[in-house]
Amino acid sequence: MPVTINGDTGIVTPMYNGSITANAVTPSVNMKNRIINGNMVIDQRNAGASVTPTVSGTYTLDRWAAALTAASKFSVQQNAGSVTPPTGYINYLGVTSLSAYSIIASDVFALYQGIEGLNIADLAWGTANAKTVTLSFQVYSSLTGTFGGSLRNSAVNRSYPFTYSIPTANTWTSISVTIAGDTSGTWLTTNGVGIYVTLSLGMGSTYSGTAGAWAAGNFSSATGATSVVGTNGATFYITGVQLEVGSTATSFDYRPYGTELALCQRYFQIYGYGANGTASDSCIGTGMFYTASEAIVTAEFKVIMRATPTYSAATVTNGYRYHRAGANTNLSSLPYSGSSSTSAAIFGNISLPVSGVAGYATQIYSQVDGAKISFSAEL
Amino acid sequence: MYKLNRNIFGSEPNSVIRLADTATIPFDPDNTDYQTFKKEVLAGAELQDADGNVMTQAEAFIATLP
Repeated sequence: MPVTINGDTGIVTPMYNGSITANAVTPSVNMKNRIINGNMVIDQRNAGASVTPTVSGTYTLDRWAAALTAASKFSVQQNAGSVTPPTGYINYLGVTSLSAYSIIASDVFALYQGIEGLNIADLAWGTANAKTVTLSFQVYSSLTGTFGGSLRNSAVNRSYPFTYSIPTANTWTSISVTIAGDTSGTWLTTNGVGIYVTLSLGMGSTYSGTAGAWAAGNFSSATGATSVVGTNGATFYITGVQLEVGSTATSFDYRPYGTELALCQRYFQIYGYGANGTASDSCIGTGMFYTASEAIVTAEFKVIMRATPTYSAATVTNGYRYHRAGANTNLSSLPYSGSSSTSAAIFGNISLPVSGVAGYATQIYSQVDGAKISFSAEL
Repeated sequence: MYKLNRNIFGSEPNSVIRLADTATIPFDPDNTDYQTFKKEVLAGAELQDADGNVMTQAEAFIATLP
């Protein structure tokens, strides 16, 4: 019985007087695309609001960090400028230059994503069997010209600078860059950084290298690439970022939204009123009073995190509430003096301004918009 | 600047507070904020004990951490 496999129509199997046609666009639950949040749909930290990074390593949309050597030269926002995304996408990451900054040799301005080593182990980089990969994305900019980026290893002593062209301003352009796998260097296959994928927004000569070849050194972009931060008001939008095995770019690896969110939550999780679209009181955790003024509360993480995370909490007047036996106590901050792991945080809040009863149960609630806590295990 | 965080589950601190933003950083070698904390203290950044006293032997303390 003949079976037809077609990229557009799917799998067609003649049967009786008709046929069975499988869905040709089944959402992927595997990892063809090693980039997480490549279609820029997840923005747990800022929920679509603009952020102006002042320190390098600031995360913008999920998994996408900003590198910078001077504060406040650009802003980042999901769907900045509200242009129509390319067909098949609803979100993009938008960069807007906030000044006309003149790059010096040691400057670095870029967006980057660290791909966890566990997710690139099959590439066999650093060996004779290193696999070829292709980086592809959609880009839209008010500037035209030659732009740059790179792939680097964790130790940033192996780099592959590359260039790509944006020929027409304010038009979505498909970019594809094929890179032969690196047969040298050390490429982590652990929960550390496997590959840094970087897109330059302006790079000094110290960190710019020759495009199209592996080099021993720390190069985040290619020599001569256009500086986005060099033009006040310049815009640079990207989406559909994909890094896949092979020498050709294939269609974007759409994953279910819940899957993409869970992939992001291995690195960052946020809880509370307003987190991930919640618009009501939100329980953070449950526990018990250990003593009259000391509560122990456990918050189970949604997914196992990459490492024991860093904890942060917004300060909001009366933003948090301890429910206790027949009463409530409001707190404006939620200090943390407990113990945590990759699977849960255990709040051991000491010297609470309450008089609970040892052994009684308690809950921590977030009850005011913005009263959010977060856990970060980013790379 | 950093300040050791009290640990009510044991006598030894198991995290540090980054005073710039009050983030609590666990002593996990895989945590990138922890890696940065160690580098910065070894480079001279101030480290306080849990009572807020500046630690004069901060480098020696760092050497005892994982």
